[in-house]
Amino acid sequence: MRRKTGTSRFADKPFEDLGHIAERNVSDKLEDNERHIRTVFDKCADLVVRRLDLPGSVPCLAVYLNMLIDDTVWEEGVLKPLLNLDAEPQNADRFLEDMVIKLGSSMKPQIADNMPDIVRNIVHGSVALFIEGQKRALRFIANTKLHRQLDEPVTEAIIRGPRIGFIENIDVNMSLLRQYIRSPLLKMERMSAGSVSQTEVTIAYLETYAPQSVIDEIYKRLERLHLESIISSGYVEELISDHPNSPFPTIQATERPDTVAASLIEGKAALLVSGTPMVLVMPITFWFGFQSVEDYFMSFIFATMLRWLRFTFAFMAMALPALFVAITTFHQEMIPTSLALSLAAAREVVPFPAMIETLIMETTFEALREAGVRLPRPVGQTISIVGALVIGQAAVQAGIISAPIIIVVSMTGIASFLLPHYGMSQAISLLRFGMVFLGGMFGLYGVVAGMIALLIHLSNLQSFGVPYLWPIAPFNRLGLMDVFIRVPWQYMKKRKWHKEQQLELDKS
Amino acid sequence: MKRSQSFIRWFFLLIPCLALSGCWDRRELDEIAIVMGSGVDLTDDGQIELSLQIALPMGIQGNMQMAGKKKPVMLVSSKGTVSQDQIGQIQQQLSRRIFFGHRAVFIIGENFARHGVDQTLDTMLRFPDSRYNCFILTSKGATAKEVLSSPYPLEVIPSIGMKNMQVGKYTFAERIDKFLDSFAAKGFMPATGAIRLIKNGQESSFVIDGEAVYRENKLVGYLSGTHSKAFKLMRDQGSGMKIPVRIEPAGKLSTGMITADLLTTRREVRTFVSQGPPKIEVEFRAKGRIIANDTTLDLSKPANLSRAEQMLSNELQKMISGLIEQTQKEFQSDVLGFGDILHIQHPYAWKKLQTEWLDTYPEVPVKVLASVILERIGRTQKPGHLPK
Repeated sequence: MRRKTGTSRFADKPFEDLGHIAERNVSDKLEDNERHIRTVFDKCADLVVRRLDLPGSVPCLAVYLNMLIDDTVWEEGVLKPLLNLDAEPQNADRFLEDMVIKLGSSMKPQIADNMPDIVRNIVHGSVALFIEGQKRALRFIANTKLHRQLDEPVTEAIIRGPRIGFIENIDVNMSLLRQYIRSPLLKMERMSAGSVSQTEVTIAYLETYAPQSVIDEIYKRLERLHLESIISSGYVEELISDHPNSPFPTIQATERPDTVAASLIEGKAALLVSGTPMVLVMPITFWFGFQSVEDYFMSFIFATMLRWLRFTFAFMAMALPALFVAITTFHQEMIPTSLALSLAAAREVVPFPAMIETLIMETTFEALREAGVRLPRPVGQTISIVGALVIGQAAVQAGIISAPIIIVVSMTGIASFLLPHYGMSQAISLLRFGMVFLGGMFGLYGVVAGMIALLIHLSNLQSFGVPYLWPIAPFNRLGLMDVFIRVPWQYMKKRKWHKEQQLELDKS
Repeated sequence: MKRSQSFIRWFFLLIPCLALSGCWDRRELDEIAIVMGSGVDLTDDGQIELSLQIALPMGIQGNMQMAGKKKPVMLVSSKGTVSQDQIGQIQQQLSRRIFFGHRAVFIIGENFARHGVDQTLDTMLRFPDSRYNCFILTSKGATAKEVLSSPYPLEVIPSIGMKNMQVGKYTFAERIDKFLDSFAAKGFMPATGAIRLIKNGQESSFVIDGEAVYRENKLVGYLSGTHSKAFKLMRDQGSGMKIPVRIEPAGKLSTGMITADLLTTRREVRTFVSQGPPKIEVEFRAKGRIIANDTTLDLSKPANLSRAEQMLSNELQKMISGLIEQTQKEFQSDVLGFGDILHIQHPYAWKKLQTEWLDTYPEVPVKVLASVILERIGRTQKPGHLPK
């Protein structure tokens, strides 16, 4: 299934760029410029317009948005050098160029003459300097370094490995990546998306490593992106994903720079979105959901064991309740006799059929999990107590729910948290309900039919041209070395495998 | 428009899925009566009596608080002429559906077995959820109903006790599939374990210590004692069997007996066809170890050991010949399956022989050879009670 080509559904909506600013150039009259800026930033309380006199009594106008500008940088780095400038306006034409050379500081002065461009820079945290008699303006980048501390990634904690995560600031994120890959091959192309929010988006990839077709495809999809605002990478993920209607993620979202760096070296591309710590990595295959970056940091033996543990528990998370329901309601002869008697005894007083019971408990579990995330931290403790005591013990004692169901549901709950990627674990949790329904309706036959349907769905998926089940289907011997086992590093030739993957891409 | 049409189409495809399959077959674990054992008897007035031992999950210890107050099993039975019909009659007594999926044993009452089993048995065993790995037993000196209603102190459910006895290697075990096979075979007569009631002081219980031998579809007798042992050896269920044998006259301190534990047994049957009835030669080889030595002999001496081996071989030879003689003369039933082996080794001769094999078998000369190799003699060289 290919994503339908054509315009996105946002395309036909009229949207406003910063375009109500008429396309015009900088005037040589300060008053004109000031009037224009003030109309553009009408009712913007954070706009600061300051009149200055440069040495040689050249009047000029500094415009910026308060708080987007670092005060000390502005005072020490821009204002002081400007006021101490001994440049006499000898040559009016070369006046700005002279200033740029003389200032030449960390403020990265640049010359601009297009008004909308200047406005765009102002909202991104620049200072614009209009000078009397000049048809061009200067701009300085004086971004405030307003961001939180680098912190351990909360959603993807690992035991062994770097304890640093991305933050909301895209510049910091880019430099984090650069710290892992210190090579000019690491390209980071910046663009802004979102007609109103003007969010910075950066595509990062390793040139010659990443297949050009994937990069082109990402660009093509980003161009189709007609959004007014992008607050989080989730917006982009859903809109550029190959299969937004599938529960399975075809784009990985991670807040670990090491994961992203490793993915880049594998020839994947990353999309950094300003304002969110979640970086998108693409293309991915189904198996990413079972690989943690930690696998590569620890002994390959344990990494392989953990991988199989994840496979097993992912299967359990999806199918255990369904199998339980199917076997206890349709295929009782499959249960060992003494277990069958125990289960029968546990069911004696219970009012609901096993399927309803399981669905009730699964829903309750999902609710508890969600509540645990939303609840303020001090209250969070109570949830576990309520969950464990009220739901677990009291429900069994009251004879509303049978004890084996509680065991199955809690096993399933634990199993779903074993997956290192939240997206994959969500997909599996969701499918669980369908499976229980099928198991309760049609027995093992239904469960197997569901599994086959799932397999068909998975083998239809693609992520930016890469088949989702690669290297199993289509089969690739070399690619297998990092799927069911994690081979020792000396045999791990990702670069070569990636070539294979690229061949696969060329085929499609 | 097109999208909604296909949705409607799918919707109507799914509805028959729900209506036509699945769900209606659903039975919760608390809606089934789990049959643990069943038995069939012939009553004195010529009716067939079917008995089912049904597990009561609530009565099983450790499951619920009520455990101990209720009985773990109940016995229901019904009389009639057709056995399938009686399942329906028993069903009328039960609020839950009869479920044969966990039946551990099927007991044929002695009267019923002597009368002939195959017709009615077939309807019982054909029941859809009946399993072929359930054990089949023949009661001895009691009806199947009496056996099923006998308590068994060691297990919560008596049928499970019977099943575990059969799983262990100390009783002759026959599963339903093998039993039915031997019904169909001309050169192989059916045999099952024989279960009888005993009294342990006040408590009554049951024991499986013999074999019931069938000739075609009728029970012809029971094996017991050494013949029972020899039968298990010949049916390859003899490993772990203990064979006592006297190798010297009883002395003042000793009985003169040693006991060997057979580790592996191997039976080879050779058949010879020429003029007259075919000849059969049975060679039985076993490896064993000494587990008791109540003699004055030191078995670490090779001479003594080979003497013991010789005596054991003689003993086995005697046991097996005795058994074969009994099956030939008393039962006239080829329960050891010589006919089948003849079929394999001489398929063309068998074509002629098979029709009158029932009558030929008692006349067939059988030669028995037995040899035992003792691999280990145990921990002590000499019996512990002898002076060093």
